[in-house]
Amino acid sequence: MAEEKVMTPQVEEEAVEIGKNWKANPHKWTGDPNQPLLEVKNLRVSYHTYAGEVQSVRGVNFDVKHGEILAVIGESGCGKSVTARTIMSLIRHPGVVKEGSQILFEGKDVLSMSKKELSQYRGGDCGMIFQDALVALDPTMRVGKQIMENLRIHSKMTKKEAKEEAIRLLDVVGIPNAETRFRQYPFEFSGGMRQRAMIAMAVACQPKLVIADEPTTALDVTIQAQIMELLKRLRDEDGTSIILITHDFGVVAGFADKIVVMYAGQIVERGSRKEIFYNPQHPYTWALLGAVPRLDWENKQMLRTIRGTPPDLVAPPKGCPFARRCELCMNVCLEEMPPVKEFPGEGPENHGHSAMCWLYADDAPAEVREKAEALRVKGGEGHE
Amino acid sequence: MAKFVAKRFVYMIITLFLVFTATFFLLASIPGNALTMKIHKLPAQAQERIMQKYGYDKPAGERYLLTLKNVVTKGDFGESIAKSGDTLGSILQKRLPPTVRLNIQQMIVGVTLGLILGIIAAMKRAKAPDFIILIFCMFMTSVPSLVIALILQLTLTGPSGLLHLPIIGWPKGKDLWFGGWQFTILPTFAGALFYVAGYARTTKIAMLDSIYQECTTTARAIGMSETQVMLHHVVRNSFIPIVTFLPGTIAGMLSGSLFIERVFSVPGIGSYYVECITQRDVPMVLGFTVFYSAITIVSIFVSDVLYGIVDPRIKLVSGSSR
Repeated sequence: MAEEKVMTPQVEEEAVEIGKNWKANPHKWTGDPNQPLLEVKNLRVSYHTYAGEVQSVRGVNFDVKHGEILAVIGESGCGKSVTARTIMSLIRHPGVVKEGSQILFEGKDVLSMSKKELSQYRGGDCGMIFQDALVALDPTMRVGKQIMENLRIHSKMTKKEAKEEAIRLLDVVGIPNAETRFRQYPFEFSGGMRQRAMIAMAVACQPKLVIADEPTTALDVTIQAQIMELLKRLRDEDGTSIILITHDFGVVAGFADKIVVMYAGQIVERGSRKEIFYNPQHPYTWALLGAVPRLDWENKQMLRTIRGTPPDLVAPPKGCPFARRCELCMNVCLEEMPPVKEFPGEGPENHGHSAMCWLYADDAPAEVREKAEALRVKGGEGHE
Repeated sequence: MAKFVAKRFVYMIITLFLVFTATFFLLASIPGNALTMKIHKLPAQAQERIMQKYGYDKPAGERYLLTLKNVVTKGDFGESIAKSGDTLGSILQKRLPPTVRLNIQQMIVGVTLGLILGIIAAMKRAKAPDFIILIFCMFMTSVPSLVIALILQLTLTGPSGLLHLPIIGWPKGKDLWFGGWQFTILPTFAGALFYVAGYARTTKIAMLDSIYQECTTTARAIGMSETQVMLHHVVRNSFIPIVTFLPGTIAGMLSGSLFIERVFSVPGIGSYYVECITQRDVPMVLGFTVFYSAITIVSIFVSDVLYGIVDPRIKLVSGSSR
């Protein structure tokens, strides 16, 4: 596909031979394949700070099916990471998950789980990969031991078995000399190695869902591609569902099945990868896509930037959150929250493409629509 | 490691030499010494003879070389002027055990209680236990241990006291190291409370630092309970600042328990040292100063080694060999 050529860095075959599977018996889910693994319903999260209540996530809905890769994309401070952490029920004081929010994992609400259920869910059913493995791993504990901890919590493995399994996992994620590496500390690993160890830790107990919170942000592009390849293999070989949090369209281009675009704690556009890349509908998505450097451009072409900063979520605007930065801003955008417009998909590719914008209201002025068409071309150009 | 120890040993010798030299000349520059007080009423001729006997007729430079020679070859700092017959060795032999026992007990009580209170304060931060511990720490740091010792003595000892503990004294003979606990309880607590306060505060701050480290979130994300996170990750990572605190404690205790030793009439070296200073007993002051310096240096060395154990990122030996 053209877009993959363009968006993902070309990488040589990995230096490390990755032979074995993730695990001996990949889990096969039974039951209705259309039943989502994870459903997030009307999720609202606030942080109580001295400045006031910061509404980080404001009514987010999405679901993840078995074996599906969902990418959540958006710029800093738009609630992506908070959403990811809430799914793991990791929100702590001063953060509060608002009433009415639901996170259903296999039909069970994560937010009302008991401590025991939560302990099984975290790490057991659902693994999390953090952005910066250097700080996410305990600096004073051997890497192997940290992976063993996970195994020992969720299974009745003996120390010896856990050690063997941990070494096998390190080997599977492509860390050479796994046995030596097992005994080393995080600071003795390179950045990419650390992230691999982090992945080994997250997937140690064969979770059904892996949440990757900007797993490649701290890495250079070559390593980025290797890590994404590793995550993709996790899905392809084991059918693990993945939620990928990122701010980089380049990362999701060859990877995600579904994409959710977040802005100011809300989902402004959602759809399949194809729909978002080939037929984006929201001005924010156009702006994001326009800000990605591309290989097929002529020299000296300016990258588009988005003026301004995301709105202050202590007092979120009553209208569209993107209105103040939007080139197509109309009066109504500042006053009222835009409606969600559904776009009929083409054939089986339809993943429920929708965008939240006044542009698609029936009475939108013609000149704004014309202007929008001009912008749309800029955003989507080259992806087709 | 051997290389590291050897290097540190050489540094230690150099430091001790400098301490010795500085102390010697500082003492020599003060007019008068233990002898002057003793003999100032004698006739001039007798004074001169006595000065000659102790070698004070010679110039300071010559005395320095002579003393240095004795120290290096025989480890002999000279006989006490104020109390004839006492030497550094004999005093240490006689008076070190009570001080060492007192200090060990103080450290065990002080550090253990301090760590426990610090951990509680950190886990219950901004709640009642935290505030109570904070107030206690403020109080204990600001009130000198001398006052604490006297208050304890007033309220808990003697026939009218709450616990009927002996007012003063220290176990002797076969009880010297182990036994006679009723004598040691109060001196131990009187001195330890200060360390409880110090360690509780250090531990709490260190714990709060590591509680908010990202790795605790990771630990929670693999299904660890709060208690497991605390014990496996937070406490571990809190030990680095605590270890920094340790050599100061060891060194400070030896000289710091001086008031305690006085109040409770513990026959230790702390009180003796102060007596020597007030009397300008040059050989003994010199000997004790070098002795304390040596202990301080050794405890700093021990904490350096401990660093490497609590934090693997710190390597004692530079380069590839380890």
